[in-house]
Amino acid sequence: MRHISLKINGKSYDVLADNSEMLANIIREKTGLTGTKVGCNQGSCGACTVMVDNKPVLSCITPVIRAVGKEITTIEGIEANGNLHLLQDLFVKRGALQCGFCTPGMIITALNYVKKNPNAGREDIKEALSGNLCRCTGYKKIIDAVCEYVELSSNGVESIPVEELNGKIIGSSVPFIEAEKKVRGNAEYADDIRFKNPLYCKFLRSIHPHAKIDGIDVSKALDIEGVVYIATGSEIPEKFGVLTVSQDETAMAIEKTRYVGEIVAAVAAESNEIAEAACKLIDVQYTPIKPFFTIESSLNDIGDAEKIHEHCKFNNNVHKKAELRFGDQKEGLKNADIVSQMNFEFEGVNHAFTEPHSVAAFWDENGLTLITATQVPHYVHRALSKVLKVPLSRVRVIKPYVGGGFGGKSDPFPHEIIISYIARKTGRTVKTTMSREEVFITNHGRHPSEMTMALGASKEGKFEVLDADIAIDGGAYGSFGVVTSYYNGVLLQAPYDIRNIGFKTYRVYTNKPQSGAMRGHGAVNSRFAIESLIDDLAYKLNIDPCELRLKNFYNENILTVGEFRITSNGSREAIETVMEKSGWREKFGHLPSGRGVGVGCGFFISGSALPIIWNEYPQTVVHLKLDFDGRVLVSSGASDIGQGSDTMLSMVVAETLGIDMQKIYVLAADTLLTPVDLGSYSSRVTFMCGNAAKSAAENLRLEILTAVSKKTGCNISELNISEGKVYSNDRKVNLEWLEAVDIVTAHRGAITVSGNYISPKLGGNFKGAGAGLSPSYSFGACIAEVEVDKNTGQVRIINVWGAHDCGKAINPLAVEGQLEGSWHMGIGQAISEEMKYYNGLMLNNNFIDYKIPTSLDTPEFDTNIIESSDPEGPFGAKECGEGALHPVIPAVANAIYNATGARITKLPIKAEDVLEKIQNAAKEESVYA
Amino acid sequence: MKNKVYQPATISEALDLTNSEKDFIFIAGGTDVIVNSKQGNAVADVMIDINGIEELKQFTVRENYLEIGTGITLGDISRDNRIAELFPALREAAISVATPVIRETATVGGNILCENRCNFYNQSEWWREAVGYCLKCNGDICIVTGGNRRCFSKFISDTAVAMIGYNAEITIVQSAGEKIIPLIDLYTGDGINPFRKEKESIIKNIILPTDKNFRSEFRKLRPRRSLDFTSLTSVVTIDSNGIIRIALGGVDPMPILITGSVNDNLDFLIQNAVKKPRVIDNDYYPRRYRKQMIEHFVSTSLNNLLKI
Repeated sequence: MRHISLKINGKSYDVLADNSEMLANIIREKTGLTGTKVGCNQGSCGACTVMVDNKPVLSCITPVIRAVGKEITTIEGIEANGNLHLLQDLFVKRGALQCGFCTPGMIITALNYVKKNPNAGREDIKEALSGNLCRCTGYKKIIDAVCEYVELSSNGVESIPVEELNGKIIGSSVPFIEAEKKVRGNAEYADDIRFKNPLYCKFLRSIHPHAKIDGIDVSKALDIEGVVYIATGSEIPEKFGVLTVSQDETAMAIEKTRYVGEIVAAVAAESNEIAEAACKLIDVQYTPIKPFFTIESSLNDIGDAEKIHEHCKFNNNVHKKAELRFGDQKEGLKNADIVSQMNFEFEGVNHAFTEPHSVAAFWDENGLTLITATQVPHYVHRALSKVLKVPLSRVRVIKPYVGGGFGGKSDPFPHEIIISYIARKTGRTVKTTMSREEVFITNHGRHPSEMTMALGASKEGKFEVLDADIAIDGGAYGSFGVVTSYYNGVLLQAPYDIRNIGFKTYRVYTNKPQSGAMRGHGAVNSRFAIESLIDDLAYKLNIDPCELRLKNFYNENILTVGEFRITSNGSREAIETVMEKSGWREKFGHLPSGRGVGVGCGFFISGSALPIIWNEYPQTVVHLKLDFDGRVLVSSGASDIGQGSDTMLSMVVAETLGIDMQKIYVLAADTLLTPVDLGSYSSRVTFMCGNAAKSAAENLRLEILTAVSKKTGCNISELNISEGKVYSNDRKVNLEWLEAVDIVTAHRGAITVSGNYISPKLGGNFKGAGAGLSPSYSFGACIAEVEVDKNTGQVRIINVWGAHDCGKAINPLAVEGQLEGSWHMGIGQAISEEMKYYNGLMLNNNFIDYKIPTSLDTPEFDTNIIESSDPEGPFGAKECGEGALHPVIPAVANAIYNATGARITKLPIKAEDVLEKIQNAAKEESVYA
Repeated sequence: MKNKVYQPATISEALDLTNSEKDFIFIAGGTDVIVNSKQGNAVADVMIDINGIEELKQFTVRENYLEIGTGITLGDISRDNRIAELFPALREAAISVATPVIRETATVGGNILCENRCNFYNQSEWWREAVGYCLKCNGDICIVTGGNRRCFSKFISDTAVAMIGYNAEITIVQSAGEKIIPLIDLYTGDGINPFRKEKESIIKNIILPTDKNFRSEFRKLRPRRSLDFTSLTSVVTIDSNGIIRIALGGVDPMPILITGSVNDNLDFLIQNAVKKPRVIDNDYYPRRYRKQMIEHFVSTSLNNLLKI
């Protein structure tokens, strides 16, 4: 180590470092400028981009010595005199960020590029940003913001005006309340938070997919100076799991390991480097046993081999069988005029959020505090209490800013439990942040699946019968898998009216990282299957695929065959919108060979009507506190992971109270300070927390009006609150907000009110009736246009027109962002993303080989919000964060069929498969010719 | 990773360091070497950072050739008008490497000396232990082929393919002096030790002939339009004497060069290009598909170039 002087953002820093240390590490750990993010630590995601002498540089692969004597600029150095740079401001106001984790690198890269290319066009900008991966936005709003910046700055404009909301908040595009903090690099994610004298934890992970652990010798590792504690599995034997019915995982492997990458030991040391070095000195004796990697091998009788889990009922590795039938499918298919049946295969995909898992834990007089990048503080709270045997009242879980989740941060995780345990053992704060490789092997992504599905229809095109045989690969543990098993089937019962419908799903354990919940949970793959069958029927029946769908949609206010209560339903409007916007009628059947259009539809739940842990506690509770200063504190357990739920809460409360958002402060996702919310999963937050917040705000409004009525003698029904005033219809009472606050707090002090949300009782009286029940459902449609190179099988998605019925867009800017992000993620699964394994070892555990679409691979989106006004949603709103993903994948595949005659039944779509199908189709044609 | 780092200012200083230090690696841009060392590959006690050597950053125009310093970044290559005019396939190759930000750091020298890649090699140390180390990291077996003799890690430089298509030479400097060799001779075809170059030597520049009136076409196969390493790079050139050069990358442990003339049986050339590379399944795309694409790329390029 030596003294190194660095000049960052015009300021000199003297640090002790090795010349070969990476600049990112120095900037973050030694100067405290944590705005620079590390997403992959391999120079492939762009999050760590900084400027060195006006050149963009990936600081995670730049030795610090290269930056000595140069001007380094980080995101913190972009603003001037406290004012946002115009590009930062555009990112805020145009919704060009969600989780905010890629934002600093994105802004630095864009600024640098535009400075050198002041006349850059849209395509140039896409190219320039193609090394900065974003997983939330689908890039559209980022590219829009940069294009606008080019235009404004070429006209000499340096700032843009603040847009006044003019009293109407709901329905206005409102930048996220924390967006400024994110573009300044000041939002603290878990790894950005600094602690006094912490320990750093690293994990030793199994190198075998299935092996007995015969012994673990940690003595050599313990001898290293700086190693403070080494934990192994038997110290934390209590099982846990997000679902009550599958508590099948321990914090570390105890008697055997079930996947390559499972944690076997954990080292806490004075530095990451020491912990890492110590891990290598731990000697684990394994006896490998027969591993199971495929669905087939786990479905079948396994003979003399050892089961992955003892609790599997039969001599196989089946974790769950879910089956539901309405009507007789065999008979139905036999009697249908026409049937389409196909086999489908889906590789697993990963959430690939940009912020790696990161967590810190400490114990003090209040018990355990855990700060973690999570979507579900409440379930982490419960799991910690259960596993560490500490009362619920002595556990606090705090969610800081989170860099994306998409379902991948919605389980309680081993690493959260382990560091809490070590923190208790050592009395020190313990923190850990995963490498990108560890994030991938922690997984919990979409289940690899195989299915056979058959759809029968009348010759007029009325769907009559659907049968699905599904098997999903759960990996080593349960996670959300029981729910996933049901969702694969039950979420086939809309948006089309099919009266005879049945499915059977097997979820199997395999010796791979566990699958779990991912955006569009459980329904994405089976949606792909049914939409492909519908497309096939359309061609066979010679009916336009859009028209065929229109013939079969459910209407509003119906019960599906499995007794889902569908209230608002924007299916028709959604498909009609994309038909019109895309020019469907002019294009379908009229495009040149190699070019095609395809359509897909979908629907999704707005939160599960039944909680995971069955009790009578409401699904969410929101508290409001109003004090003398006129500010309303909203406290909610809802987890904003970049989707904008904090902003939603603020908007709902401000609108209901008739005050501006400046008077609202949102305190969220801290299990000590905020009432319970079940978490950000199943697209429940806007619907449920929005309703609870609205109800709380209505209660507060009533408190205020009651007090004012009592004080003024004016009848309460004559009183109004809006635009920050409390007034009577005749304006005899006309109070400023603070005057009204004085009245309501007089002799009483701060007012606290509460609101909650409890789903109405829904559903039928049969086993499995609860799966997929939701107080409301979203609907949507996508049309994709593709170009296929018939010589190579390469597919280029040119355009996607999407429409999604979110009931009411409380914040259209946020809704568009969710839709575009969903379409982007769907396109990834469609054309490039898959988790590949070799003997259970994930082959492509990095952002080079796991292929998230870059800005250049993401087509232009035409984004359309459909507002069907849900009768029970807050202001009519329902979900928009997941459902939009479903239709886009089949739309792409159906477009490929339209372009080439190649029917896609495997995801991701591979050029080699497309080419082979095109060539086979050509051969068949020549045989008939 | 704690290395001593030297930043020599001249080639001779750098060469002196190679005499005084035993366990060293050179880094130029470092965009690949550093990732490799983070994974426990390419580790050494000492890093000799040659990024600051001005002698390596010279563009020199001579009468019948152009000398490109190996320290020039791919970004600068892609913006150079002379290259765009005379060697468009090199420009396209440069633009196709990695990402725009990486190209501002990555050098053309680093690109031609970019370590071969394989799914089973470019992994963390833990991962490689779990899989059982392969031939390229001191193991006994090639995990892809099951063989124990040959490593088939992929040669993945795009710019080298283009420059080989233009019949480039390189100047290698050692303490003993300089020598000029054809660029294609830099490569051994051995996946474990892919470069025929003394460890203590530095490639100073690349020499491209400017008097051949090349017509050329560049093609690259990869799943995404940015970020990805190549699955197949093909450059076909035809010079003023009717000499055809077909250069391929991403399909063999070394670049493949097929030469012929416009009077040859083109199908024969194409079939040679398909047969010669030792393509194995260590890529995003399967072997068979990449073979098909070699045929498609090469025949399309030949057609396009001969049409004019």
